[in-house]
Amino acid sequence: MSGTEGFSPKIVAYVCNWCTYLGADLAGTARLEYPPNVRIIRLPCTGRIDTNMVVKAFEVGADAVLVSGCHPGDCHYTAGNYHARRRWMLFRDLLEVVGFDMRRIHFSWISAAEGRKFQQVITEITERTQALGPYRPYEAVPARPQCGAGASACQPAAAADFPAQTKLRETAARLLSEGAVKVVIGYGARGPVFITKPEDAARLVWNESCFANLTTYLKRKEVGALGKPAVVVKGCDERALVVLEKESQVDRAAVYSIGMACSGMGQPKCAACDTHQPRFANETIASDGAPAAPPVDRYLELDLLLAKSPDERLAFWTAEFDRCLKCYACRQVCPMCYCERCLADKNRPQAIDTSPHRQGNFAWHLSRAIHLAGRCVGCDECTRACPAAIDLRLLNLALARAAETKFGYRAGMDAAAEPLVGAYSLTDKEEFIR
Amino acid sequence: MTTLTQDALRKLVAQWMAAGKVCVGPVRVAAGTVLFQRLASAGDLLLDGWLRPANSIKELVLPRHEPLYGYRADRNRIELLDPPETVPEQIAICAHPCDAAALPILDKVFNWDYRDEAYNRRREATTVITLACTASDDECFCTSVGLAPDAERGSDAMLFDRGDGTFGVRTLTDNGRAALGDSTAKSGKTNPPPVKFDLFDAARFASRHFDDPFWQRHALACVGCGACAFTCPVCHCFDIVDERSGHDGMRARNWDACQFPMFTLHASGHNPRHTQGDRQRQRIYHKFHMYPEKFGETLCTGCGNCARNCPVGLGVLPLVTEIPHAEPV
Repeated sequence: MSGTEGFSPKIVAYVCNWCTYLGADLAGTARLEYPPNVRIIRLPCTGRIDTNMVVKAFEVGADAVLVSGCHPGDCHYTAGNYHARRRWMLFRDLLEVVGFDMRRIHFSWISAAEGRKFQQVITEITERTQALGPYRPYEAVPARPQCGAGASACQPAAAADFPAQTKLRETAARLLSEGAVKVVIGYGARGPVFITKPEDAARLVWNESCFANLTTYLKRKEVGALGKPAVVVKGCDERALVVLEKESQVDRAAVYSIGMACSGMGQPKCAACDTHQPRFANETIASDGAPAAPPVDRYLELDLLLAKSPDERLAFWTAEFDRCLKCYACRQVCPMCYCERCLADKNRPQAIDTSPHRQGNFAWHLSRAIHLAGRCVGCDECTRACPAAIDLRLLNLALARAAETKFGYRAGMDAAAEPLVGAYSLTDKEEFIR
Repeated sequence: MTTLTQDALRKLVAQWMAAGKVCVGPVRVAAGTVLFQRLASAGDLLLDGWLRPANSIKELVLPRHEPLYGYRADRNRIELLDPPETVPEQIAICAHPCDAAALPILDKVFNWDYRDEAYNRRREATTVITLACTASDDECFCTSVGLAPDAERGSDAMLFDRGDGTFGVRTLTDNGRAALGDSTAKSGKTNPPPVKFDLFDAARFASRHFDDPFWQRHALACVGCGACAFTCPVCHCFDIVDERSGHDGMRARNWDACQFPMFTLHASGHNPRHTQGDRQRQRIYHKFHMYPEKFGETLCTGCGNCARNCPVGLGVLPLVTEIPHAEPV
C-alpha cells in the first residue's frame, strides 16, 4: 500500500472485544483481504475508549483513527456503546474547534457477523488517508504567538457603592451567631476568606472584584473540617452547586448558600450572562449595582474562532498551548475538578505526559475540556486563573454549545435535569457513525 | 553609546537575531498579559506599557521542559543520545532587576555540591540587559528583600528609561560591553516601592514557628496550583521524567512545585506535607529560612509575581505581611 511518495498510512483502530474485534476475526477466517495498515487495539467496550486514547494515537504517529464497536442495542454490557456515542458527539465538536482534521477520525458499528463491512471500512479509510497524506498535527508550527481571539469588548462595571455588602455582612454574622453555620466562605479584600466568628464578618466584601467561584472550596478537607459552611455565590457560581449535587459531591442540606444578585464583574462571561439573579440559594441579597445590560450572544467569540480554517485554528491553539506551564491553575480553581487523583497525575502508566511540551499540553487541555463536557457551568475560573492567558474559555464554550444544540442541555441550569454525560438516549444522533 | 532610542534598541535586537542569538523580551500575548518570550522579530519587543511580565527570565537558564538525554533500546543494547553540547547565545532584553538578581541566586544552588551541566551551559550563554523600573505596584517589594528598582546584581547591562523614548545605557560586565559597548550612563529616576516587611522578622518567624496554626489559617484559600512557583524568578524545583515511545525514549527535567500534593507524596501513600497549609509554609520556609541558612541570602527577589498570578490573592507578600510580630526574641 505504498503511495507515490512512499507514504503508507498508519491507522489505529480501537475496537470493542465483542463485536468489531470478532468482525475483524471473521474477515480473517473468511480470507477477506484488507490493507495491512491498521493496528487493532482491543478493548472491552467502546464505553472504555477514553477520548485521550484518540489523542494519544495521533501523538505517537497515527495518520487516522477508527473507533468501532457493537451496533446500538447489541452492547455486551447493555449500554456501553450508547455512552460512547454521546461522548463522541461532544468530543468531535471539541476536536473541530481545536482544528483537528476531522477526515481522519472515524467511527463505525461493526458486528461480529460483519466481516465484510470490516474489510470495506478499513479499505476505505486506508485509501482516504493515503490520499490525505501523513498527519502530524503538532508540527504545524505557527511563526509566532497570536493574541487571544476571545478578547472581549466587555468593560468592568463601574465601581459603585455596594450597600449589598452591609447586608451580606449582617447575614454572615447572623448565621454564625445563630450557629446555623460554622464558617462563611466569602470574598475578602484580596481573595477568598473563611469567616468563623460573627465579629469577623466585617472582613467580607462585595464589590466589582468578586471573581472567584467559591464553591470550589466545598471539596477541600481543610475547609470541611471547619464545620457546616455557608458559601457566597453569584448566579453563575451557583450553577456549580447544582451540578455538584447531581454528581453526589455536595449535600445541599449540608451547605447554606448566600446568593448575591450581581450585575456583572467585568469578565468576558458577564456580557453574555443570563443568571444575574441566583435561583436556588437559601437566601438572596438583592443587587444594588446598575441593572445589567441584556445578554449578548454567548457563543460570539467561538463563532469568530470557527470562522477561521481548521489549520488556522490548530495554529491558534498551538500558540496558546505552547505558553502552558502545566501549573494546573485551571484544574485547581475548577469547582468541577474534584477527582482525588487527576488523570494527569496518574503515572503508572502515564496517561498524559507531564512535560509542558506540545503534545503534553495538547493532551492535557483536550482531556481537561472533555472531562468537563456537559458539566462546565461557564464560570471561566480556569481562564481567569491561567498565568499565561490561555483562552480556555473557548474550549468550554465549544462543549457548552455542543451540549446545548445537540441535547438542549446547559449544565447547572435545571436542578431536575439528568446529567448529560453519564446518561444516554436511544435517539442520540449518530449521523457521523458509519 | 550612552543613549539608545527605542528604534536603535530594536535595530540592535534585529542584528543580534540575525547573528543567530536567541533574544527574549516582553511580548504582549493577550489583552492584559505580557510575558517574557522568545522574540520572533524585533518588532515584537514591547518597550513600554507594562509594569512587569507575568513570568520571569528563569526559563533562559532553567527551561520548563528540558530533555537531558535520549535513549534507544535495540534488542540487547541501549544507546544513549546526548543533548547538544552547546546552546545558542541568548540575550534577555528588558529584564527587571528582580529577574536579573535571581540568576546569581540560582547559580548557588546549581553549583552547590554538584555542578549542573545543563544549567551552567545555558547560564554561560546568557546575557542579561536589565531595564531599571520607573514604577511599582502594590505587589512589588524588592526593597524589602534588599534590592532596588535599579539594583545591578545579575545584570550585564542596565537601561534607564528617560521617559522620552530613549534609554540611558550602563554596561556592567564584559558580556554587557560586548552587546552594547562601554557605557556609563547615570541612573534615571526610579520610584522604589516602600519597605513592606522586616526581613529579619519574617526569617525568625519562619524558623521558629513550624507548627504555628498561622500557616493552616492563612493557607485555607490556597487552591494548590503552581502558578506562584512557576512564575517566580527563583523557584527552581524540578521533576525528572522518562517519556517513552516504542523503543525510543527521553529523560527530561520539568518544573515542579511544592504546592502540588504529588510533590512530596511517597510511594507508600504517606504524604509528609498533607495539607495545603503545610505546603504554603514550605514555600515561605524555603525562601526565608532554609535557603538563607545554606547560602546566606533570601530566596526571593520581591518581584511580586506570586501575588499577581495567584487566582485567590495569596503570595509571598500577602502571607509574610500577616506574620505576627509581637514575639519575644
